[in-house]
Amino acid sequence: MSLLDPSTVLRRRSDVRYRRIEGEAVVLRQSAAEVLVLNGVGADVLDLADGVRPVGEWVDALDGEYEVDRETLASDLLAFAAELEEAGVLERVEGER
Amino acid sequence: MSFAGGFLRFPDLFPGRRSGEAWGDRRVVLDVPGGPYGFDGLSASQEEGVRDRFAGLCRAGGEAVVESRVFAAPAGDFREVDTRGWEYTLDLDPSPAALRFAGLRLMARLDWTPSLSGALWTPEAEGEAFWPVLENVFRVLAAYRLLETGGAVLHSAAVTDGEAAWLLLGPSGAGKTTAAGLCRDRGAMVLSDDLNAVVLGDGAPRVVRLPFTGDLGGERPAEGPGSFPLRAVLRLVKGSEHRVRPLSSARALAGLLAAAPFVNRDPWREEALLEVLERLSRAVPGYELVFSREGGLWDSLKDLP
Repeated sequence: MSLLDPSTVLRRRSDVRYRRIEGEAVVLRQSAAEVLVLNGVGADVLDLADGVRPVGEWVDALDGEYEVDRETLASDLLAFAAELEEAGVLERVEGER
Repeated sequence: MSFAGGFLRFPDLFPGRRSGEAWGDRRVVLDVPGGPYGFDGLSASQEEGVRDRFAGLCRAGGEAVVESRVFAAPAGDFREVDTRGWEYTLDLDPSPAALRFAGLRLMARLDWTPSLSGALWTPEAEGEAFWPVLENVFRVLAAYRLLETGGAVLHSAAVTDGEAAWLLLGPSGAGKTTAAGLCRDRGAMVLSDDLNAVVLGDGAPRVVRLPFTGDLGGERPAEGPGSFPLRAVLRLVKGSEHRVRPLSSARALAGLLAAAPFVNRDPWREEALLEVLERLSRAVPGYELVFSREGGLWDSLKDLP
């Protein structure tokens, strides 16, 4: 699997359902009946992975939401996105744009 | 592998509707949460097996809320499965208006046309071999029926002091039966160490006994309520010390979702399931419980706020 870069576009896999609750996200992968709990940043990543916006634009959407500089936020978002791709929650949109 | 290929020799010939040759003209009606549930088309031996298995829950007759029919199927339609070291999991194929599923010596479907109804095809003619097949179908049926009535079936152990109940959650091997046994040794009653129903209704959540038990359960008070207010939900973790810590609502919801068999694999009913379990996770405190055999588990459950 190649590394994510700012131009990568991600979306939630079709079997993924999630719900935000008190600042966290509960994620259900139905194909495996697997359940994950994500913190606030992870929940934001799920919201942002709409299959349209590239990862590099996510930081703009969250600017001011967290008390970190843009560089740190961008790095955290990429790391989270990579973890969620590895976990089978997100997938890449390739050749559809 | 395609749907049902592990259990059926001809999965493409899976029945498309509730029809076939009935085993007989016997009927049983079972008083189980979400019901009563009626099963038609049984032979005399099958009826006897079901009545023995679900003794105390059989009605003399009458109407049921959920009707199911039982049909004969050739033994040759089913694969022989080597079950040594194997964990039995039904193969499910949900769709908007139906659920098809297959397992050992069974094909079944639930249809919403428009209300929930069931059908089972099996080659098991004799009561002793038939009732386990019917029970496996019944578990699925009850899970879907409870969900549409605003409740849920949860893979859990439920213990009660006769006034309130506690639900112990965790995957296979987490210690549900062990924990329930420790509580029983200290005076608790075990409703089931396998599947329990939670109903929400308009009031506080209540745990309702289901006749689906593992090694423990099925104990019934001589008199008193058939359901108990749910005091807390606990996610079990085995350990060498005893510790209880609160779970966030999200983590409690995650535990409940993972414990909702069958329906948590159905994309057509996930919103309903999430809604029910989110209400439950907000209404009842959730905890992570690390327990040991020596830790005074039952006393600490009763001490929870």
